[in-house]
Amino acid sequence: MLVILLLGAVLSIFAGSHADARTGQTVNNFLNSYTLIQTATDASFFAIMAVGATVVIISGGIDLSVGSIYALAGVAMAMVLRSLGTADTASTIAIGLVIAIGIGLLCGAINGALVVGLGVHPFIITLGTMWIVRGIAFVGSNAESILVPRGLTQLAKASLGLGDSLYPVPMMVMVAVTVIGSVYLIQTVGGRRVFAVGGNAEASRFSGVPIGRVKIVVFVISGLSAGLAAFMGASFYGSASCADATGYELYVIASAVVGGASLSGGKGSAAGALLGAVLIVLIRQSIRTLHFDQNYEWIIIGCAIIIAVVLDQASSRFTTSRMARASAKS
Amino acid sequence: MRDRVHRSALLTAALALFLTACNSQAPPATQQAPAAKPGLKVALIAKSSTNPVFLSARTGAEAAAKELTQKHNVPVEIAWLTPPTEDGQIQAQRIAQAVNEGANAVLISCSDAGKVTGAINDAVARGVPVMTFDSDAPESQRFAFYGVDDIKTGQMVMEELAAQMGEAGSIAILAGNQNAPNLRKRVEGVKQAAAKYPKIKIVDTFYHIETPQDAAAEVVRVQNAYPQIQGWAMIGGWPLFTQTLLDLNPKKVKIVAVDGLPAELAYVEKGIAPVLLAQPTYLWGYESVKRIFDKVQLKQDVPKIIPMELVKVTKDNLGTWARQLKEWGFTDVPDSYLSMK
Repeated sequence: MLVILLLGAVLSIFAGSHADARTGQTVNNFLNSYTLIQTATDASFFAIMAVGATVVIISGGIDLSVGSIYALAGVAMAMVLRSLGTADTASTIAIGLVIAIGIGLLCGAINGALVVGLGVHPFIITLGTMWIVRGIAFVGSNAESILVPRGLTQLAKASLGLGDSLYPVPMMVMVAVTVIGSVYLIQTVGGRRVFAVGGNAEASRFSGVPIGRVKIVVFVISGLSAGLAAFMGASFYGSASCADATGYELYVIASAVVGGASLSGGKGSAAGALLGAVLIVLIRQSIRTLHFDQNYEWIIIGCAIIIAVVLDQASSRFTTSRMARASAKS
Repeated sequence: MRDRVHRSALLTAALALFLTACNSQAPPATQQAPAAKPGLKVALIAKSSTNPVFLSARTGAEAAAKELTQKHNVPVEIAWLTPPTEDGQIQAQRIAQAVNEGANAVLISCSDAGKVTGAINDAVARGVPVMTFDSDAPESQRFAFYGVDDIKTGQMVMEELAAQMGEAGSIAILAGNQNAPNLRKRVEGVKQAAAKYPKIKIVDTFYHIETPQDAAAEVVRVQNAYPQIQGWAMIGGWPLFTQTLLDLNPKKVKIVAVDGLPAELAYVEKGIAPVLLAQPTYLWGYESVKRIFDKVQLKQDVPKIIPMELVKVTKDNLGTWARQLKEWGFTDVPDSYLSMK
């Protein structure tokens, strides 16, 4: 959070300004409502998936297939809605949501069942399903970019009274998903079991935690979040194609890790995933806002991820040692 | 407890930052930052910054910006916002970002027309005109498109290939990114023209990631799997940016490809690609920026469709084309071609 604030402050100071094309008013290039909501919107699709991916990571697993599930869910939704033709907006939204989430759920359940049933590491299973699922999207859509009905776009791009070209819906969905994810992880038995399995699987087994079921559930959650992100993404951008979200799985995992999730399991949070996604998008944003050469984008993002994680670890170690000293004194 | 207070303070500060921005179009910070000079800032968003054809478009755009700045005494700036890899969603995000940061116009080659149409319309609604080049978004509110007629380009590729192969034999189509609408049209054009040659059989259409290495690897894989292939209709020059295919036997395999960048010239010289249909990719940037200047600064009318003509490059005009590339700023044109006729 501190890093995000500092980066935001730096961007606000050094971004410069421009005259608004319509009003002629001088506007800061970063600190304006459009850029802030745009940044949150850009982060929202990663963040929604990152909340689901974080649950998997906390359980000690990993899900490389989220980008492909996003693509398949979006394509399937767009194809079904296209084949149904004209329907009223409410039905279109309901059908689209059910299909996107349903595909996400199905893919997640298959991932979980394969991981548990075959006893193979989730990295391998989801690496395989990553290609299979994208292949299905490719074959199914014949590689077309399929437009979604206008009703979906109107929903995702509703300004909710904020003004023209300000679209807060993806950001609101991101926040809602993060809250739901936090409640699930912190307040429910299921969430605590996820931490238990990721922290020490053997101890959990002896404590009677149904490890197989927990593992299936975490992949279902991850699939669900990818399906929801696909619904939002396809609705917001107005189309879906099999190439959507290519490579996003790495951004999603990076968001979770930057947000404090431990790849060895047992640690992480939904809020951290959201902040991680926002930080990564903000870093990308800063490359352009501060007029760095675009060609350095990958180098800068890579370095920033390493630095963010190292700083987070150092901060955790410092806090732990401070608490240890404090308890020793008392 | 202290941690909680600390976190709350940070959260509050973040919220304050957000609300300050949402409540004001001109926050206090702006008053300290220097306002941008009046001029023309064009956001150039090509498909991928790893594709050399778009780098030449950038060179052309920057050259036009320099010329216009000198001629009209109006500072023209090119902001290069091209994503590293093809991604329509990222392009849509960058259009919005360009507008948010004060671009006066956007120039884009669309990776996925469906994905960017909404963002283009949003930009236009916010007073920022958009022009497309190379790959159009015809359903959007862009004011002009500059590029080749893709169906016709595909047809020309096939007709040239048929002439090279004596109008008979098996061919493959190399098609690049399957989501790009312009490339799909070129494939359609190839197939339409192929229908006129009953002795030519299309083995299949092959899509690939649009990097030189991926494209070259795809050609090698396909050629091994289908040794009967005698001709390649390449609707983009991707694999010819590598030297991988220089091993092909020009007596057995002929290539006709779109694009004619310096790296491809060796294929013409060796007879592997006896014909290149070069898109003057430098002009994508050069002409488009001039048209944007006409529209935005000079308030002139610009045609909605500005056709680009392909240049046929063969051994006969290899030297002339090489010199043209050099003149356009390409630094990697081999000297041996510059001295040719």
